[in-house]
Amino acid sequence: MDQFLQHLVNAMVLGGAYALLGIGLTLIFGIMNVVNFTHGALYTFGAYAMYLASTALGMNFFLALPFAIVAGLALGALLELTLLRPLRGADIDTTMLVMIGAGIILQSGTLWIFGGVAKAIPSPFPDAPLQFAGVSISWLRLFVLLAAAALIALAYAMINGTRLGRAMRATFQDADTAALMGVNVRLIYTATFALGSSFAAAAGALLGPVYVVFPQMGDLAAVKAFAIVILGGLGSIAGATIGGFVLALAEEFGAGYVSSGYRDAMGFLIIIAVLLMKPTGLFARAERVG
Amino acid sequence: MLEIRDLECGYGPVAALKGISLDVGEGELVALIGANGAGKSTTLRTISGLVKPRAGTIRFRREDIAGADPARILSLGIAHCPEGRRVFPYMSVADNLAMGAYLRKDPIQVREDYDRVYSDFPRLAERRHQSAGTLSGGEQQMLAIGRALMSRPKLVMFDEPSLGLAPTIVEQTLRIIKAIRDGGATVLLVEQNAFAALELCDHAYLIETGRVVKRGLGPELIADPHVREAYLGG
Repeated sequence: MDQFLQHLVNAMVLGGAYALLGIGLTLIFGIMNVVNFTHGALYTFGAYAMYLASTALGMNFFLALPFAIVAGLALGALLELTLLRPLRGADIDTTMLVMIGAGIILQSGTLWIFGGVAKAIPSPFPDAPLQFAGVSISWLRLFVLLAAAALIALAYAMINGTRLGRAMRATFQDADTAALMGVNVRLIYTATFALGSSFAAAAGALLGPVYVVFPQMGDLAAVKAFAIVILGGLGSIAGATIGGFVLALAEEFGAGYVSSGYRDAMGFLIIIAVLLMKPTGLFARAERVG
Repeated sequence: MLEIRDLECGYGPVAALKGISLDVGEGELVALIGANGAGKSTTLRTISGLVKPRAGTIRFRREDIAGADPARILSLGIAHCPEGRRVFPYMSVADNLAMGAYLRKDPIQVREDYDRVYSDFPRLAERRHQSAGTLSGGEQQMLAIGRALMSRPKLVMFDEPSLGLAPTIVEQTLRIIKAIRDGGATVLLVEQNAFAALELCDHAYLIETGRVVKRGLGPELIADPHVREAYLGG
């Protein structure tokens, strides 16, 4: 029973970060119809921004996190303005190849600048974990869970409660009519990509201190993000949130009760199972983006 | 108020408008009639900036707006109520109306306009929290009209407002459009139901294959043998 609760707690921590990763990807796909192959690289970027800020730049851990998120936002905006905006209306294959190329450049750039050796991000929390009802959770992981929950709540509030969020939903549902309402659709695309990127960076910045940071860390994260989004239904933020937690539960319990070697295979198993049984995703409903 | 001269545009190599000229005076209700694919909708889409013209001018209150951004054109006072209603299906009625007021920076007057739309269309008030996609066709049309009015337009363009609606709702919709004109706005109406449009309008243009082939007062076009034969069923 204790072991069960422990896995559940671990899954919640992981699930929060996965949900962020999935929300970022699904937002970009839902509104822009772009399959973002740089998502993994942005996850890595967020982790390295966190590393750089809390080591070389000497920032406080709690300041380094927003720094990494804003850096992801800026890189996302830059990618959208330089690559996606000129390619708007181009063939989907062209866009995909360019995004794959951009992802490779980002990853190789990271390898070039920081080297291939994994780095640790110093944590400001005490090493002794918090013990409660036979379950132990490190302060760092507790913080990761709370920060992820806060960011998810912020995403919901932004999409459902602000003028920008309303314009994003309108653009997703009918871009032409949104333009007739005076929405600057191109600006919405830039904002969406920047926001989606910042969510990937946030996931990297949160999980970076829990594990270690290395240039290829985004590869597996990207696959997991796709698994989450396929699970939740493309374009569904609620689906991505639930999908993130479902994947984390599957990984934790798969590793705990089946075989720890299959932990990372869970994402692939989920993709295959969902595509076989319900190709539109488990939570695909009429309601999307919001 | 609106002056269009020799407007040309096309989708790829296909020319959709081959030199349209038309005038809409302040306070008038002007109708564009013609068959499917004649270029009526494209004319409206070009005026509102969704389609960029290849040649020609569009002047609105003496300002050239040909090729301008939709947001700029809307902010000058032209609202476009698109064909097929095009409400945002997964947004609530209230959010759809909020989108109509997207560019406005006067929250107090916007609030008054919500109340006016709700009192003009009580069905929308009852369903303000419901997704627009769950409304009936007639209710969606009311919402599309209300949404267009939320920008406080000087000129409202309606594209096929009666399409796909039950006959009683069509009548109601056309009465609302007339009331909007009587309330002081100028109206440009595209309508396949040529007889209803000609009865309602001050003057009208008949468009065929991207060109204006006839213009005149409503009764003149109703009496015209070509119009009678081709559009009014003989």
